[in-house]
Amino acid sequence: MAEIFIDNKRFEFEGPTKVLQFILDNGLELPFFCYHPSLSIPANCRKCFVEAGQPVFNRETNSFELDENGERVIRFFPKLMTACSLDATDGMVIKTHVTSELVRRGQKDTLELILINHPLDCPICDQAGECPLQIQTYKYGPEGSRFEHKKVHKPKRIQLGPRVVLDAERCINCTRCVRFTDEISKSKQLTIVQRGDNNYPVTAPGLEFDDPYSVNTVDICPVGALTSSDFRFKARVWEMSQTPSIDITNGKGCSIDIWTRDNLVMRITPRYNPHINDYWMPDAGREAYKIYNENRISRPEVNVDNQKIKSSWNNALLTTSEKIQSIQPNEILVVGSAYASVEDNFALAKFFGQLGQEKAVFAPNIIEGSGDDFLISDDLAPNTSGCEFLGIDQLDKEKLAAEITSDQYKLIVILHEDVVGRQIVTADQLASKFSIYLGTNKNQTSAVSNVVIPVTTAAEHFVSYVNVQGRIQRTIPAKETLYTNRRLDLEMSMGRLDHFGTQFDNWVTDKNKIDCIPAWEFLVRLAHELNIDFKFNSAREVFQEIVAGTDHFSDVSYERIDSELGVDLANKQKEELNLA
Amino acid sequence: MQNYEFTKEELAKIDKIIAKYPNPQPAVMPVLWMAQEKFGHVEPEVQQLVAKTLDLTPAHVYGVASFYTQYYKEKKGKYVLDVCTSFSCQACGAYDTLHELEEKLGIKAGETTEDGMFSIQSVECLGACGYAPMMQITNDVYVNHLTSEKLDKVIEGLKQDKLPEFEPIPLVQNREPAEEK
Ligand code: SF4
Ligand code: FES
Ligand code: FES
Repeated sequence: MAEIFIDNKRFEFEGPTKVLQFILDNGLELPFFCYHPSLSIPANCRKCFVEAGQPVFNRETNSFELDENGERVIRFFPKLMTACSLDATDGMVIKTHVTSELVRRGQKDTLELILINHPLDCPICDQAGECPLQIQTYKYGPEGSRFEHKKVHKPKRIQLGPRVVLDAERCINCTRCVRFTDEISKSKQLTIVQRGDNNYPVTAPGLEFDDPYSVNTVDICPVGALTSSDFRFKARVWEMSQTPSIDITNGKGCSIDIWTRDNLVMRITPRYNPHINDYWMPDAGREAYKIYNENRISRPEVNVDNQKIKSSWNNALLTTSEKIQSIQPNEILVVGSAYASVEDNFALAKFFGQLGQEKAVFAPNIIEGSGDDFLISDDLAPNTSGCEFLGIDQLDKEKLAAEITSDQYKLIVILHEDVVGRQIVTADQLASKFSIYLGTNKNQTSAVSNVVIPVTTAAEHFVSYVNVQGRIQRTIPAKETLYTNRRLDLEMSMGRLDHFGTQFDNWVTDKNKIDCIPAWEFLVRLAHELNIDFKFNSAREVFQEIVAGTDHFSDVSYERIDSELGVDLANKQKEELNLA
Repeated sequence: MQNYEFTKEELAKIDKIIAKYPNPQPAVMPVLWMAQEKFGHVEPEVQQLVAKTLDLTPAHVYGVASFYTQYYKEKKGKYVLDVCTSFSCQACGAYDTLHELEEKLGIKAGETTEDGMFSIQSVECLGACGYAPMMQITNDVYVNHLTSEKLDKVIEGLKQDKLPEFEPIPLVQNREPAEEK
């Protein structure tokens, strides 16, 4: 196997690899700006300098030349090399800043040059705290600047497009953003203009940077030059807690991180998942913070004399159980949803199955042609495959409408689906029935339902979803509800503010916690009222029962989902078919 | 807004230019030249025409056009005076020359006189460092070793539509030895 020596340590490698990528893969450190593993390599920031050399091979003796100590003679490249663009070769010797004074000097000088025209406005810059330029200047940079003249001024606060703002003075011209639009999203909307110290990236005159993936450039910009118009100045990085989750705004289910501060979702960023989204996500998925923060149903609501009043959980439970007891099980229509999780759909179907209504239905929300062949699917709901795999009856909109309006049913139980908003039935049609709505946000369906039960969103509970590729992934609660607590739930993440904030300071309040519970938990409480043997203590228990009882989910566990970044259920199926 | 278009003959010529290269990107520069010769400038609409003709994005063409001061991204005066302010010329007093020219014409670099006769640009090295300070007129003749008198003469000449003569530079070995001061 080929060998390479990095700072006097021997490593083995296989196949072609760039030196920088190899160094990173082995957990070593080398500073860099312009390199990105998913993009082409322009080697323009000159930050990843190393000394590189190769052993001298004597063709006549067919062996490596040795010095007087019996060590291989190494011929170094005359100048520092950029590790990002340098192919590792057998026997190569690399010296990084750890062993080479020259490299340390090179890194320092590169930074001094990069910073010459940089505004150094970290205190008001959104990127501060997660800024490679800031971090590397602290670690490898010069102590001060020798440049005493006026800096070059460039355009600031340019609205490049609806979601991205440019501060050209902060830009270090790494071209990551341009390469992203050229190579990944393929809109080719950005270019570097002007020349020399006037360089900066922008769109052609009169055109907007309205690429549906535009905000990814904000993530990969190694400085604060590109910022998100939505998140700008909303929160400092170190105040937020970061929680792994998944995108629920379409069927692709990109892996994401949810960033919260004081239990409000401040922003959503993509999380690396080579099976689904690599480092990217669509802009639309980042808007989901609104679903989590705004217009939430908090505390149950019950219709009394045609007026919706907030009610206690006890009252809501009693109203629901009395209604259920007053009719026959086959007079209940159970509506699941591709917007709700695997666990909640399963619990719903199982609960009413035990009660005597075996049938549960759902209507997928797929609009042909609304997606693309990248990260936006035609399927607008995150869990259509999950519902299919659970065996929930799939109906189209018209069929579901016919069921809801059918005289056979006296009670409609709706999980999450906004049947009125999706124009499956009209508000009047739904209002003419007794309906119970288990939902997260206020909408046209909750407005006319007789009982409204607030349930948790993907940002508030442990649940899994199966995406259009048949890959199951799960969420971890990012926001507390009134009934969950980060300090007690060891899976929830705790940022600085969560650790040290108190209710008596200005930054932490209780007001962002929603009064809601997971749908399965509501059903457990309802079962208690109705004396049904239906009991779960956690979403994990629900999931374990699904795994035990449903072929599609066999062998899957939360642990596997976590460590393998999701599990491909469809493929597992295929393998079994092949065996048979 | 004016509608910019290439004629059939021009398109045929462009096809020939494209055929010289493995992909259309390198054709951007010659086609921008053609467009500038035809329309007198390469304003954004013209850039878009070039992009459309070459099947590239407007952003790409804009990037190229903005790199070179020789492409006029807006309508310019009849004569564009490109004063080099790069290193060698700067060391020989190019900024004094530039400011003097600005005063003489009553406009700043980047502006055009009201009568549409002159524009001034401050540009990067034109490869004539040996004759610094120097300027180029409308992407054409170079005027070398600029002095105040020379500027006056050139401006007067241009007002009568007379471009200055090309100044042959004597070979080093044939030059008069510099006068001792
Ligand atoms: S805006 Fe950011 S990503 Fe784009 S070139 Fe500048 S520094 Fe690089
Ligand atoms: S990372 Fe190697 S030159 Fe930028
Ligand atoms: S610096 Fe002026 S021509 Fe080179």
